[in-house]
Amino acid sequence: MSAAIPVQLENVSKSFAGISVLRDINFDVRAGEVHALLGENGAGKSTLIKIIAGVHAPDSGTIRLGDTVHTAVSPKEARRGGVATVYQELLLFPELTVAENVFLGNAPRTGAGLLDWTQMRRRARQLLDSLDSPDLDVDAKVGTLSVANRQRVEIAKALSQDAKILIMDEPTAALADADIRRLIAVVKRLRERGVGIIYVSHKLPEIFELADRVTVLRDGALISTKPIAEVTEQSLVAMMVGRDIAHLFPRGEPKIGEVLLKVEHLSFGARVRDISFELRRGEILGLAGLVGSGRTELALTIFGITPATSGTITLDGKAVTIRSPKQARNLGIAYVPEDRGLQGLVRPMSIAQNNSMASLHNVANGIFINVGTELRRAADSITKLGVRARGPSQIVGQLSGGNQQKVVLGKWLETEPRILIMDEPTRGIDVGAKAEIHALMARLAGEGMAILMISSELPEILGMSDRVMVMHGGQLMATIDREHATPESVGAAMTQATQHEAAE
Amino acid sequence: MTWNKLIRHETILGLFVVIALVVLSAQSDKFFTLDNLLNQGRLMTEVGLIAIVMTFVIITGGIDLSVGSILGMTAILLGVFWKNLGLPLELAIFLALCVGTFAGFVNGLIITRFRVPPLIATLGTLALYRGIAEGVSEARSVRGYPEWFYVLGQGNVFGVPTQLWLLVIVTIVAAIILGMTTWGRATYAIGSNETAARFSGLRVDWIKIAIYSASGFAAALAAVIFVSRVSTTRSDMGTGIELDAITAVVLGGTSIFGGRGTIIGTVLGLILIQALKNGLSLAGVKSDGTIVLIGAALILTILISNLVYRGGTR
Amino acid sequence: MSVEAAPAFRPHRSALTRFISAYGQEIVIACAILVLFAVVSAVNPRFLGANNLNTIISGNAYIAVAAIGMSMIIITGNIDVSVGALIGVLATVAGNIAISGAPIWVAWVAPIFVGMAVNTIVGMLVAYGKIPAIVVTLGMLSILRGGLVSVTGGAWINNLPPEFLLAQRRFLDVPVPVWMMIVLTIAAFLWMRYTAFGRSLYAIGGNPEAARAAGIPIERRIVQVFAIHGAFAGLATILFATQLKIIQSTVPPNLELTIITAAVIGGVSILGGTGTVIGSTLAAILFSAIGSALIFINVSAYWLRAVIGALILITVLIDMMRRNREMRGAGR
Repeated sequence: MSAAIPVQLENVSKSFAGISVLRDINFDVRAGEVHALLGENGAGKSTLIKIIAGVHAPDSGTIRLGDTVHTAVSPKEARRGGVATVYQELLLFPELTVAENVFLGNAPRTGAGLLDWTQMRRRARQLLDSLDSPDLDVDAKVGTLSVANRQRVEIAKALSQDAKILIMDEPTAALADADIRRLIAVVKRLRERGVGIIYVSHKLPEIFELADRVTVLRDGALISTKPIAEVTEQSLVAMMVGRDIAHLFPRGEPKIGEVLLKVEHLSFGARVRDISFELRRGEILGLAGLVGSGRTELALTIFGITPATSGTITLDGKAVTIRSPKQARNLGIAYVPEDRGLQGLVRPMSIAQNNSMASLHNVANGIFINVGTELRRAADSITKLGVRARGPSQIVGQLSGGNQQKVVLGKWLETEPRILIMDEPTRGIDVGAKAEIHALMARLAGEGMAILMISSELPEILGMSDRVMVMHGGQLMATIDREHATPESVGAAMTQATQHEAAE
Repeated sequence: MTWNKLIRHETILGLFVVIALVVLSAQSDKFFTLDNLLNQGRLMTEVGLIAIVMTFVIITGGIDLSVGSILGMTAILLGVFWKNLGLPLELAIFLALCVGTFAGFVNGLIITRFRVPPLIATLGTLALYRGIAEGVSEARSVRGYPEWFYVLGQGNVFGVPTQLWLLVIVTIVAAIILGMTTWGRATYAIGSNETAARFSGLRVDWIKIAIYSASGFAAALAAVIFVSRVSTTRSDMGTGIELDAITAVVLGGTSIFGGRGTIIGTVLGLILIQALKNGLSLAGVKSDGTIVLIGAALILTILISNLVYRGGTR
Repeated sequence: MSVEAAPAFRPHRSALTRFISAYGQEIVIACAILVLFAVVSAVNPRFLGANNLNTIISGNAYIAVAAIGMSMIIITGNIDVSVGALIGVLATVAGNIAISGAPIWVAWVAPIFVGMAVNTIVGMLVAYGKIPAIVVTLGMLSILRGGLVSVTGGAWINNLPPEFLLAQRRFLDVPVPVWMMIVLTIAAFLWMRYTAFGRSLYAIGGNPEAARAAGIPIERRIVQVFAIHGAFAGLATILFATQLKIIQSTVPPNLELTIITAAVIGGVSILGGTGTVIGSTLAAILFSAIGSALIFINVSAYWLRAVIGALILITVLIDMMRRNREMRGAGR
């Protein structure tokens, strides 16, 4: 019995500071299955997996790991019980090597009880090879690796502990398509070995490809646990949000105007190479490509964070130089960055203070800030963008991911931009908020704004873009019209690029 | 920036100040006299000027350990410009202030252009600037300044020590800049999340350089007042003053990690320290003993306010 | 900006490249020492005389020893600005025991335990009181410095028994401080590289959240590492206090800054998580060699500190440029 069901939760409840986040949850994972865990942000997924991993102790209920029944587990007990976790924000040590990270906490020892470096490096090598990653250097410092490679290190770390249960928290959120394929293959292989996998993700296609069973949480309650064959995308979304979502991608008839931004032969070192394109009023231009293909770097160059080393940018027919974000802003360019927490928001500050961050001149007389004006404008932003918050004085760090993204967007709309660059606009945002952001983008484009949208999610690119550009290795590989943009054509442009790279 | 937290810390500190004042005036009837209080203000000015600007530095998440050395260096140069180069004293003062500002500017440049962590950068310039002071002075002191110069450090204006006026003006200006202007907002934003501030189009590097330059200027101004107060220049002037200033700032509730703090807090911190020093010495405790108490007060205040936060928010 | 670096496609690096990439900073400092010795001895051959080498290395060994503990503290992402004051206090403690007639070994061992005790309190305030280490140690600096002077009144300790003066002794014709410095550095280096405890220090400094998730008891480790640092401060005190027949009951000025600088120049990142104690010891030697070299090439004593300060700054700038380049390189 216990071998077949390595972890079982019974009637688990948990609350933080009096707010109930999990109520009476019964949940189990069988050996050799992928059990998908779904729910909007704040539904209680993170808390649930942290209880299994021993980070949080439940207020009531029991956790059975193997044969032992606990009322709460410590991180150590969880690990001994065979639970390993690959967190969303990867918990690795950037200054330590790959091998050290894999074995931290249970490193091989020599007879004298000292760390055995030779053994450690050899076994790390074996583990990574078994994960199809012979290209990963076990002596590289983890800080120098890509997100996908760091994730492989995390998985190797889990395997080194002989995990019976592997928790994966949104493992594909930060990955490009090719890396997602690789990860899915790895997950399937782990399942064949008999590992039970708890798979948290917002991406439904992956779940239909991988999962054996699926559990949906909403507002801390378990809505349902079902075999994957008994659910559809529609029914899952309905269970998650508790209502039907009308349009997933509300891109209406675009009204595309004259050319606003013209980029010619733009380069930044070797990362952005000789890029030329045009962006028109009212247009949503999708920018696809693998992670590291130079998409974000192109945006950063246009926005002046990493000023161009050569090439020209023309705005409204006038040549401009952009050497700082301030200049870009003054020219009417806005950038909603990829990493909300790091680049987008000052989390300890209020909504009002974040809202005015890029447009302090709007709320100030000379150098003096008018707090009244600031609060009023923030209140307007909150209404306009539908931010769910107590008010303009609420601290941004307390908001959910989707509402935080709206605050970042609001901050930039305050600058009245003509060009809006959105980098991964819906990463890590739940289904409901995602649809709202998409609707906002469609509305802004309808008002004549030119939008450059960078995204790793193919459905988003295809659903929202009027045209699609594909980048690879810092170069523009293809530009595809809306009518010709299909998963196949965009995918082909990326694959072609990949083969091109492999041949080098 | 959570006002609740700030106010709470300042309330605790304010309470400490009141308790200290009450206890100390009970210990000695000389303590709570106008003369004594004004004199304490005089003694507080040099650290005060430095601490006010240090508040900005620490709110950006930085630190400036070189202020004591800048003080020493500019004091020496003031004497050298006047005595050895024969410049008019007014010009010598002006040049000394310029040098101090430039020294701070160099700190800012090292920190922003080379991305050296502020602790390390100013640790290096601490040694360099003090070294320059020692090298230039060759252990000689300069004395015999004209009489008008002593008004600054020893005289009164409207019955209040001259330099105290200066401190009050600097404090008010700093409080207005930090609390009410776009520059102040940028200072907090940089300390809370420098990357986001940069991505929002704020001129992060420019603001940091300006703040470190201001820190150098404040140290130089403190040097001029110091020289005027003690009538002489020596190369070891201001040694350790950076720690006094940082103590006052941190005691005042400014987070050493940046993003949080107020000028009012720093002023309260300064007053508490000075009151302890003075009151205890009047009560017969030796000055070294008061240093012990200041250290203990620093740890205790932060500890208590930590405990209160945790009790209140979790 | 972007963390999406390309994978490191270097699966089979040679042992030599691995060594160079792992110990870049240590190699840079070792080379700097060699260059300094070559240049200065060319100008003035007496620089390489046994007497002078002895002064350079043995006279500053206590800084190297204290920098070992400081490196550990900084690697965990903390800092200690009170260590100079602590050494001053411990020296007075040792001196007073030595003249009290107690057995000499008590005078040697006492600083180690007192140092551990004091820093255990510091560690507990940092770990459990959640006060940033710089704040606690800033307070501690005042307490120790003020406490020392108010207790002793600044009086010197004279008449130290000759057998107390450990730093003046030799073993196999090499001064004891040099032995201690070498042995302690190597022991600490091995301990930090080959024990789980040692590695956990890097984990705590590099990514505290991850360290907690990996089951490392962060709070207890921080208290322990502060205690160990206190023990090293005690060992440094023994070398420092037994050099001369007198002990000044004051805190050596700026000692903490010298010790922190040695650790940082030695390659310990002030941001935590990286560095070794070999580097800090080499840096301590470099400092004293620079000081001595300046005298040998007739730089005015008044300008000594300015030149040392400038050299420190230049080293830091070169080091930062190297690191910034590496980071950009990693971004490719």
